[in-house]
Amino acid sequence: MTLPSPRPRVSRSTIVSAIVRKDFQAFYRDRFYLWVSVIGLVAYVAIFWLLPSTVDESITIGATGAGIEQLLEQAASAAGAESEGLNVVAFDSRENLITAVEEGDLDVALGLAFPDDFFAAVAAGQPTTVTVIATSGVPDELRTAMDSFVREVAFAIGGNPLPVDYQEEILGVDRLGDQVSLREKLRPMLAFLVLLIEMLSLAGIVAAEMQTRTVTAVITTPARVSDFLAAKIIFGTLLAFGQTVILLVAIRSLSNQPVLLLTTMLLGALMVTAFALIAGAFGRDFITVIFWSMLFMIPMLIPAFGLLFPGSASLWIRAIPSYGLVETITGTTAYGEGWAEALPNLGLVAAWTVVAYIVGLGILRRKVQTL
Amino acid sequence: MRKDLRMGPRTPLFLYALILPVVLTFVIVGVFGSLFAPSPRLGIVDEGNSTIVAAAGSLDGIEVTTLSSEDTLRRMVEDNDLDAGLVLPDGFDDDVRRGDRPTLEFFIGGESLASNRIILQVTTLDLVRGVTGEEAPVTVDVVTIGDVEAVPMATRMVPLLIMYAVAIAGAFVPAASIVEEKEKRIINGVLVTPTTVTDYLAGKAGLGIVLGMATGIITLALNNAFGGHPFALVLVLLVAAVMMAEIGLILGIFAKDSNMLFALMKSAGILLFYPVVFYIWPSLPQWIAKLAPTYWFLQPIFEVGVKDASLGDVWVELVIALVWIAVLVPAVRAMSRQLEQKVAVDA
Repeated sequence: MTLPSPRPRVSRSTIVSAIVRKDFQAFYRDRFYLWVSVIGLVAYVAIFWLLPSTVDESITIGATGAGIEQLLEQAASAAGAESEGLNVVAFDSRENLITAVEEGDLDVALGLAFPDDFFAAVAAGQPTTVTVIATSGVPDELRTAMDSFVREVAFAIGGNPLPVDYQEEILGVDRLGDQVSLREKLRPMLAFLVLLIEMLSLAGIVAAEMQTRTVTAVITTPARVSDFLAAKIIFGTLLAFGQTVILLVAIRSLSNQPVLLLTTMLLGALMVTAFALIAGAFGRDFITVIFWSMLFMIPMLIPAFGLLFPGSASLWIRAIPSYGLVETITGTTAYGEGWAEALPNLGLVAAWTVVAYIVGLGILRRKVQTL
Repeated sequence: MRKDLRMGPRTPLFLYALILPVVLTFVIVGVFGSLFAPSPRLGIVDEGNSTIVAAAGSLDGIEVTTLSSEDTLRRMVEDNDLDAGLVLPDGFDDDVRRGDRPTLEFFIGGESLASNRIILQVTTLDLVRGVTGEEAPVTVDVVTIGDVEAVPMATRMVPLLIMYAVAIAGAFVPAASIVEEKEKRIINGVLVTPTTVTDYLAGKAGLGIVLGMATGIITLALNNAFGGHPFALVLVLLVAAVMMAEIGLILGIFAKDSNMLFALMKSAGILLFYPVVFYIWPSLPQWIAKLAPTYWFLQPIFEVGVKDASLGDVWVELVIALVWIAVLVPAVRAMSRQLEQKVAVDA
């Protein structure tokens, strides 16, 4: 009599990789998530390349009057206004100037109509009138500034110098003519959006496996709960990281510090996977998965939105898990920063990732065990 | 409908429909209200008692912040929390009046835009001139041209917000509710009672109308877009909510499951939402927007809420919206019959 041959031992890695393969098959089978991922990726790349790559930081004003172009340049210099930001376009008649302002020709924001005898009148100290022509869309501060500018022109022509010793100091790196464009500012948001969309996909798959009891079936095999959870982490991270890399390549973001950027995105993928496990554990169906995912997605998008505004982030924004991630992407891609500047932020992301995993795995493990 | 209104708040989608207008308003007004029209920001440290601080505070369109120390000012300017800043030493005004030409330190942030630098420089120097009391030999006459009042970007986004509010609450909530009840076969249970399919759908439509109007009103209130004729606006919102509820019923009956509903919302959503683009970029040919049924309630909402128009000014658009509602009725009835047959087959 021969004994039945013992079943070959299956290693943990084989079990985990089998579950990961199954998850990828489930992902590609679910057309909704697949299409959301593909359409999202294509749309983000298209949006990125459609956004302006430069910042128009100058003011263009139109002017009429005899010898006005030269006069304004002299006056601007006397008033301390930097020529880099002020463009003056001369018009041969008041009517042409009004038409240009009204129709926005040559990007003329507003017009200054000087009388032909302006120079002589001001030099002689005789009162004269300058008309500022603006549409109702011109911001108040620009009208105020032009009002001040005209008076300063008159003072300068009248030989009346500034009543102060004006000294100017630039603080920080002077980015005049080299401002960070909207395209650059949106780069971290797009990368992060890809991660978040994948969070939605993973949460949906986890929730579906809970509801259909697939997980119960899986753990009746030699697979343990820990194998199931490890597989979910690997699947979620690979899914999110893979698509982010595609995006970064498509928007040409890997030219500076590619290793740092890829490390950052890997950490980001790990972090969103942890939040996806939480959303998936709570989600009962498609709608609830979207709701729970949104609960995490909306706050985590705030730091990326914050980058669109000038100034440093508030303390509460710095406390959001995604802050370090967004800061590192911006620092690396827009400001050319390296590992030294990125490490504190990456440490913050890593700390949040650990916390999210402790919570996420704890909830999911309990959920699986109670099924 | 009472059951849906009572049970609804327990479902995430219901909350989503109510929270979304608030979140979107915050995001869109925040982004489009200040991102594309950032006001220049000036910081002032007044070590004495200069009149410049009060004069700067009354300037239109410039955000002025008074600070207690030069160190704080420097840090904020360097961090781009301010575009520029100046320090007014003790006795600055007296020195200016005496003609001593005191030093005016003007700090400019490296990341501030050239346009903001110019505006702040020129305006600040004019404020200093004001201390001397000297009058320039010139009068500045500001003339506003163009008969069309410019509408700020944040206001042009109001139709988008309204569209989201009424589409999610008015169409998507009843549609999702129908799909969920089909998936869980709750509808079969409901229809074995004396409730007819028409009663059932009327309840769902009622839910959409109530929710759509509620979120529409919340959105308009949040955006300060109630205009001078609130009754007219509520009436227009009612028309909008009815149209969206009809669309919600059609989609809800047609979709086999939640995934299909989402796919339908995304594809049909483009047809419903595209008129909002024509408010954001008014130079686009407006006739294209008029092809969409939603244009005919968005336009009256925009006119009444933002431009203070009365019901008399928008009656033509409202009548066309009502025609669209009437056109959709046969489609709802056809879908209703389809639902009835499906339930009968399932039973």
